[in-house]
Amino acid sequence: MGGLSLNYIMRRLLVFFLTLWVAATLIFIIPRLAPGDPITAMVARMSQQAGFVENADLIIEGWKERFGLNDPVYVQYLRYMGNLLRFDLGLAMARFPSPVSQLVSRALPWTIGLVGIATLIFFTVGNLFGALLAWTKTPKLVKVLIPMSMIFTSIPPLLAGLLLVYIFGFLLDIFPQAYAYHHSFRQPEFTLKFIGSVLHHGFLPAMAIVLVTFGYWALGMRGMMVTIEGEDYMILAQAKGLKPFYVLYRYMIRNAILPQMTALAVSIGTLVGGSVLVEVIFNYNGMGTLIFTAIREQDFNLIQGTSFILIVTSALAVLIIDLSYPLIDPRISLEGK
Amino acid sequence: MAAEAKTKAAVVAGGTKKAGAFNRFDNPWLNWKFLAGVSILGIIFFLIFLGNTFWDTSLALNASAPLNLPPYGMEYQKGKNNILVGVPEHPLGTENSGRDMLALLIVGTPRTLGVGAIAASVGMLVGIFLGFLAGFLGGWIDDVIRLATDITITIPSLLVLIVIQSVLGSVDLITMALLISMFAWATPTRYIRAQVLTMRESGYVQMARLSGVPTRNIMFREIMPNLLPYLAASYIGNMTGAIISAVGLEVLGFGPQRIPSLGVAIFFSIEAAALLRNMWWWWGIPTVILAIVFIALLLINLGLDEIANPRLRKAN
Amino acid sequence: MSEQRETGSERVVLDVDNLRIHYATPQGDVIAVSDISFELYEGETLGLVGESGCGKSTTAYGILQLVQPPGYIVHGSIEVDGTEVLNLTEEELRKFRWTGLSLIPQGAMNSLNPTMRVKAQIVDVIESHEGKANYESFRERLSVFLRKIRRPRRGEPLKKYLGEWLRNLTLLLRYEPLKERIFDLFQAVGLPNRIYNMYPHELSGGMKQRVCIAMGVALHPTVVIADEATSALDVVVQRIVAQTLVEVKDEIGVSLIVIGHDMGLLAQIVDRIAVMYAGKIVEIAPVENVYANPLHPYTQLLIDSIPSIKERKPLKITEGITHDPRNPPSGCIFRLRCPFAWEHCALEEPPQINVEAKHEVACHLFDEQFEERRSNAFAAIANS
Repeated sequence: MGGLSLNYIMRRLLVFFLTLWVAATLIFIIPRLAPGDPITAMVARMSQQAGFVENADLIIEGWKERFGLNDPVYVQYLRYMGNLLRFDLGLAMARFPSPVSQLVSRALPWTIGLVGIATLIFFTVGNLFGALLAWTKTPKLVKVLIPMSMIFTSIPPLLAGLLLVYIFGFLLDIFPQAYAYHHSFRQPEFTLKFIGSVLHHGFLPAMAIVLVTFGYWALGMRGMMVTIEGEDYMILAQAKGLKPFYVLYRYMIRNAILPQMTALAVSIGTLVGGSVLVEVIFNYNGMGTLIFTAIREQDFNLIQGTSFILIVTSALAVLIIDLSYPLIDPRISLEGK
Repeated sequence: MAAEAKTKAAVVAGGTKKAGAFNRFDNPWLNWKFLAGVSILGIIFFLIFLGNTFWDTSLALNASAPLNLPPYGMEYQKGKNNILVGVPEHPLGTENSGRDMLALLIVGTPRTLGVGAIAASVGMLVGIFLGFLAGFLGGWIDDVIRLATDITITIPSLLVLIVIQSVLGSVDLITMALLISMFAWATPTRYIRAQVLTMRESGYVQMARLSGVPTRNIMFREIMPNLLPYLAASYIGNMTGAIISAVGLEVLGFGPQRIPSLGVAIFFSIEAAALLRNMWWWWGIPTVILAIVFIALLLINLGLDEIANPRLRKAN
Repeated sequence: MSEQRETGSERVVLDVDNLRIHYATPQGDVIAVSDISFELYEGETLGLVGESGCGKSTTAYGILQLVQPPGYIVHGSIEVDGTEVLNLTEEELRKFRWTGLSLIPQGAMNSLNPTMRVKAQIVDVIESHEGKANYESFRERLSVFLRKIRRPRRGEPLKKYLGEWLRNLTLLLRYEPLKERIFDLFQAVGLPNRIYNMYPHELSGGMKQRVCIAMGVALHPTVVIADEATSALDVVVQRIVAQTLVEVKDEIGVSLIVIGHDMGLLAQIVDRIAVMYAGKIVEIAPVENVYANPLHPYTQLLIDSIPSIKERKPLKITEGITHDPRNPPSGCIFRLRCPFAWEHCALEEPPQINVEAKHEVACHLFDEQFEERRSNAFAAIANS
């Protein structure tokens, strides 16, 4: 009723913008902490690989001038921040002259789609299973089957991806091993066939995340449900003679889901990290694969840009969850915490 | 009395509720999940010890063994007319730069676990320090620490580590562990702060304050012992996270290349398309070992949860 | 203030017989309620008193079939209006709850679901027992809505027209047929209508307790059990809420069991009092008898310890039940603390002795064969 408290919103926004600032600054500082400057370092790496780079000194000087590395650091920093504000992430050096922002904007939707759908599945399935584990009226068989399904819990998604792609992609050959859609499509199109292909290709990567993650949520939910079963209002709910299923979802799940939402916000960072690696395994055309190629191509600009955008996306996801939290917990709006 | 008949019926109705109310839960540490997890880790360490004693670990180096051998007793079709057969000298096979898989496991497993342990320990120590500071002092110190924690948790640590490592190149394991620990303090800090806040409000700590016990003593004599199961669970969770980060970085190619750890082995196998060449033992064996380690850590964590929270114990 | 109320009819609405409840512990069962029997008459208010741990709340939860594990009912019979509660199947029991027996809980602070509005928590109990049968369907409401909408009249202020529109739309979308009924309940317990849409955390402690009372009587149950319903409130609010409880009870005409430890407060609101000690009812009598003429030695101690403004007196009762509840002493349960105990008390458990109309006491002193001993003992007390 009271609506969102201003204090709460302000604090969340503060965390959001500070996160962006810290991430951007880190990305600015890190290459400058390394011995030498980034350009020299990069050319050194190039010559390491190619054996010899012609006119290395000239190249270094030219690029330094071009990227403004001869300016004082604070000028560089301000220029860098200004560019970031305009979403100008510079050029991908190895794929000159593609702007980083263009590569990123092609890859980002795939990652958001993959992680978003996987999150939706594991959060729903996990909480449902956890609730059923704790509920006293769950059939015995279900209570035995659910823990068995949780065997993969806590294995990193990357390893689960390896196993899945080997079994279902290689041995059984029922799911594709790589890419987000069939290679016969030149570019994404809005047809049923294409969507089918995307689902077919996305299934294993999503499962790699879901299989190893939902167990955590089931365990957390179970713990919350057990706590709630001891609350005074549960005794009253029982005394009121409400229907058991109604008590389950309106009294137990409704209250147990609140801390789970908080936990979801906290786990976004880990989740994004995990999905980056899953993408590498499946060569999925999202941000993870983009980073992996950038690492191989020693394209520091692309690594920076991709990482920064992924951090922004994560922070945005956390912000959305945090801001939607008061909508499901009526107590937050008043306490303003 | 006329009530006798219905009394009997009620006895039956009531009697069934008693079954299994109490049995072996007198000692909370005798928790099967906790013990199973500890046992699995124990067995792994014992095997590593045996391996170090009886197996030639220098076989984990490049070109110390024949290439691409499958595990002993298996056949591997390499090309059309080239069938490789596993030999007893290399019971778990070899990979394509001539490393013996068994030696690689013996060398790589403790390295991977070590990265996790170091990173988790450093993160935990910082977390305990900051968590107590924030929870106990409150005020602006709490605000700053809380803000820093929120920010660190929001940023996907793997991405920043990638940026750092892409500047540093591949680093040794200690450096990697320290880099990971830069992010491993936030979750323990948040957790410990919350627990300290709860305990600070509890009756016995309030009593200690009123009777003039110094803050330092309250922290370490009153609060710390009650926090122990939580700290242990948090440490194990932290270690799981650290190993996941380490394996992730290694799989991306940032691990030490000469003496590989398990993640580096997987990186090599991906690089060499071992999946498509059906050299399953190359990536499969490290994966399974890691999976077992993670399951063991999860079991320990679940056990500790139940040890710390009697309600969960009862719910089983 | 303590005006006399008539004791209601003689019809028994709740008959508890030989009820025994244990709590399982690793060291053996704790006997929380030990073979107690009592009746509740229609329209009557019965107080259940005793020190903490004496089993009064467990008795209430036993009657309600809400004993939480590791507690369990060993044997007994609980009849409400002729229905044996312990023989009901799970679904029968669910339906019986709140219509036969309802509860006004101990911790009203935490007894309301924090994520549901007050109205929803009253609506859900009504709907789950009475169903949604008499609801207008959405189509019916839509036709009413369509009939009501009209063009704005010439010269009509736009604000007024839009307001009417909004009201009609609310009626269509947020149809609340139970609203009037809930307002009636609010009025009965002295709650303002504005809390209808509020969440529990927006209410004061006294208000929450009133919501619980309103909820408890919403279905006009046969018996309402108020378990320490006022204990968590401050003294002034306590009195007001207790008064509300009695008024609502009289208005709606239910029978009431009030559980408490505050003898002073209970004296104001109950018709009869049952005094419990260590899982047993030691004395049960009309309230004026208990205060004017307490018979059981334990009741005497309890009455003596009610603080008074007029005189300062030393507390005669020592705290707590002294024996091990897993392994009660032979014979009389109170003999270890009883000033009058003698050998016979260890030999035989005292029966419920009917001293006068509706006044029963479980003490050997009131057995006719020990009359001499009783008069000696009481004389000694009077002299001291």
